[in-house]
Amino acid sequence: MVKEVERAGIPVVHVCTVTPISMTVGANRIVPAIAIPHPLGNPALDRDEEKALRRKIVEKALTALETEVEGQTIFD
Amino acid sequence: MRLEMGHIYIKDIQFAAESKIEDGILYVSEEAVKAVALEDEKIKSVSFDIAKPGESVRITPVKDVIEPRVKVEGRGGIFPGVIAKVDTVGEGKTYALKGMAVVTAGRIVGFQEGIIDMTGPGADYTPFSKTLNLVMVCEPVDGIKQHDYEKAVRFAGFRVAVYLGELARNLTPDETKVYETCTIKEGMEKYPNLPRVAYVQMLQSQGLLHDTYVYGVDAKKIVPTILSPTEIMDGAIVSGNCVSACDKNPTYVHLNNPVVHDMFDQHGKTINFVCQIITNENVYLADKQRSSDWTAKLCKMLDLDGVIVSQEGFGNPDTDLIMNCKKIEAEGVKTVIITDEYAGRDGKSQSLADSDPAADAVVTGGNANQVIILPKLDKVIGTLDYVTKIAGASEETLREDGSLEVELQVLTGATNETGFNKLSAR
Repeated sequence: MVKEVERAGIPVVHVCTVTPISMTVGANRIVPAIAIPHPLGNPALDRDEEKALRRKIVEKALTALETEVEGQTIFD
Repeated sequence: MRLEMGHIYIKDIQFAAESKIEDGILYVSEEAVKAVALEDEKIKSVSFDIAKPGESVRITPVKDVIEPRVKVEGRGGIFPGVIAKVDTVGEGKTYALKGMAVVTAGRIVGFQEGIIDMTGPGADYTPFSKTLNLVMVCEPVDGIKQHDYEKAVRFAGFRVAVYLGELARNLTPDETKVYETCTIKEGMEKYPNLPRVAYVQMLQSQGLLHDTYVYGVDAKKIVPTILSPTEIMDGAIVSGNCVSACDKNPTYVHLNNPVVHDMFDQHGKTINFVCQIITNENVYLADKQRSSDWTAKLCKMLDLDGVIVSQEGFGNPDTDLIMNCKKIEAEGVKTVIITDEYAGRDGKSQSLADSDPAADAVVTGGNANQVIILPKLDKVIGTLDYVTKIAGASEETLREDGSLEVELQVLTGATNETGFNKLSAR
């Protein structure tokens, strides 16, 4: 999906846990997620902490989207 | 380490007033095994049944398959840190009841458990259609959480297996095999011209009932370490893994791991079998990186020439597999990897979620998406309630004539990634 959307001329940020697979399939902007069963959150945290964590991921993804890249890049 | 494995062949299982083994027949007191299973207050009831090869019987949902064993001489006991006290096992003398298994079943996770058919096309695909199976279906007390239910059934299976193994303590084995490993220095001196080869076993440790235990330790909490390969024969590694049926390693497979046994066959002839390295398959990327780094580091420190790497499960563990392969190869150590495939029902999709040119020697257990029709069988042990929900089934699975249209994924052991089954690709 990442590649097909990019092929249509729209840049994509792939938020995923297993970044090596994202590299293998050819995503250009990769933002690491938390864990496979809960990529975009962490049930071990309390509500406020988790909200902050989730916002951080979204903000990082938006920043990645605005960033020019030369080839595949992981935004750690 | 030197371990003598005594094999006691079981030709039949029968319920009887007293548990004993006589002339290769295992007599089981139903009352006694029930009492063993019910030692855990979390189990409300248990029923036992016998399923024999060729019978029109379907067992589902299957949780674990266990081979009864007893430690006759040497340190420790069977399933150290789980049933027996913690002690290093793998030396001395152990007896195993061959040709039979304890099969645990129940509705623990339901959709994540498997099917064993004792006859028909399904039987060709599961190795446990060839064993005489003592099946125990455990019902939990009300209100129990799934993970507590899983643990209760896991332990009940081990207790029953150990109880049956004890019946063989004073018997004379039908056959004895000796497995002996050298220390690092001894091996170098004894086999200076043989390639130094180890077995890297990846243990399923994704959590949420995809777990494996090493001497009682949850494998997601280990860092890669070294075992003497005989340790597994005393139950150093046990399954707590509920998914997926075709390519999970039941405890039976850990006890009889074919990679270990085949490497022992070649030990001192074509290879120097140095050791077994165990690692995990966790859900955090940092864990995947750490574990594959350490595995590669151990391979280097042991001056290995080659390793065989086996995977358990599929999907994101494909990444652990490829990371291990890439990093071990980068240390100058040759690898052969064993996996299975999810290549779609037509076999045309990409087989693994990850790949790398370093993975140029791959053994496959077969395509788990292959469709098979399982005819209706006369008797069901367990329940068919979840048969449309097992991984590899669908809403269309149950057909009008009572047969099942499923993928091989639903059959316990069908595409096993240690070579425990006979399936291969064309």
